Amino acid sequence: MKPRWKGKGSEAKASADPMSKIVSQLHSSLIQTKTCGLLSSCSVLVEVDAELADLLNRACFGRPRITAQKDKQWFQLDMEETFYLCFSFKCLKVIGEDGSIKTNEELWEYFKSKKPVFPISYKAYSHLRHKNWAVRLGLQYGVDFVAYRHHPALVHSEYAVLALPEGDNDLNDRLRVWSDVHCTVRLCGSVAKTLLIVIVNSNGLGSNSPSCLEHYTVEERTITRWNPEQSREDQRGLQNQTKEGII
Amino acid sequence: MKPRWKGKGSEAKASADPMSKIVSQLHSSLIQTETCGLLSSCSVLVELDVELADLLNRACFGRPRITAQKDKQWFQLDMEETFYLCFSLKCLKVIGEDGSLKTNEELWEYFKSKKPVFPISYKAYSHLRHKNWVVRLGLQYGVDFVAYRHHPALVHSEYAVLALPEGDNDLNDRLRVWSDVHCTVRLCGSVAKTLLIVTVNSNGLGANSPSCLEHYTVEERTITRWNPEQCREDQRGLQNQTKETDFQFLK
Repeated sequence: MKPRWKGKGSEAKASADPMSKIVSQLHSSLIQTKTCGLLSSCSVLVEVDAELADLLNRACFGRPRITAQKDKQWFQLDMEETFYLCFSFKCLKVIGEDGSIKTNEELWEYFKSKKPVFPISYKAYSHLRHKNWAVRLGLQYGVDFVAYRHHPALVHSEYAVLALPEGDNDLNDRLRVWSDVHCTVRLCGSVAKTLLIVIVNSNGLGSNSPSCLEHYTVEERTITRWNPEQSREDQRGLQNQTKEGII
Repeated sequence: MKPRWKGKGSEAKASADPMSKIVSQLHSSLIQTETCGLLSSCSVLVELDVELADLLNRACFGRPRITAQKDKQWFQLDMEETFYLCFSLKCLKVIGEDGSLKTNEELWEYFKSKKPVFPISYKAYSHLRHKNWVVRLGLQYGVDFVAYRHHPALVHSEYAVLALPEGDNDLNDRLRVWSDVHCTVRLCGSVAKTLLIVTVNSNGLGANSPSCLEHYTVEERTITRWNPEQCREDQRGLQNQTKETDFQFLK
């Protein structure tokens, strides 16, 4: 599926300012300012100046929260975003509710306690982020993440992502039955996204420490509908068939 | 959600010809003709004359299959439809692939072997059918069934139904996580249906025999989105908000 850019000039803008460069600038800026986030339930809150706020927005990390403060801005980061900045990018520190700085291992355990499937969803998140995709939570689309080729203001999201564990049926709560596959594929189609399944194999390594992640393997699969009419040799016009007929 | 009738006159037509009456006629006609279906994998095939074909169509059982025959028509029945006609309405017999007539117990075991969740889905199906809803498989909508207040030609389907077992987590493969709930509710909304969860409790009776069904209990729940804007006292015009904003509240 080709990327659908929003309006003229978006593709050029994106080429001129690649996500990898923006994320790199964010990295430098966070390290320089020694930014610390505050752990709050399933989120991390960071107080940032205008420059950092701009970088966070352009790199698509976190959501701005409205506060009474005028000179500073607060952002709320999701667990995967936080861990990516802390563990993969090593440019953010997090202070716990008790006031102490959390190690990556402590963050890992904490996030796992909030979300047992965190190792799997994090591996999928970081896998896509490393490839410079902008990855946001996809709950409103009934999936785990949505992935954009660049900033959502410039391009429509192409992929709706489900992160599923290989062979670990206790943690796998989606696509266990055909009706869920149909439901998800149909919804993705209606919002012009391709369903991307990211299958994470822990290779028997468990998830005691974030260092296990390095040896997890990832497989990407898309699920799309096959339309017999569109795949015929002689291109007859598509008739308005009911979905029952096509399936 | 009020029923959405298709065009003028549909509601009157439906009132004049209630589903209960059509099903009753189907029942009589099947008994009279001593109709037998042929078991074929997960379906049952029945050969019918014109009158029965018309009744099956009007009562919404089965799907006509195209064959070369001119005077007879073949219909394909789903497992739940078959079992409803055989076990609940007692007006159809089924012959197995070996040529022998199947008892209801044999059909029950056979369908369970094809679909382990059959006792639950059948209980939901028959529960709605007994109330004179037209019930069809709902796979293309990502659910188990769709329920119509009358024939689909006269009315739009109101409910997208998921049949879920109470407390039996091995058999419950839907709505285990929030993302599936969102996915399903959103898809149902986009096809103008309300998500109806029919929760079936086997009450510890197991599923050894269809006679267990009688003591299963059923609970109906709908899941819809709550829109804060629409529930405010002063009715300001609905702004065109993105769904992300709506869901902020649910988080």
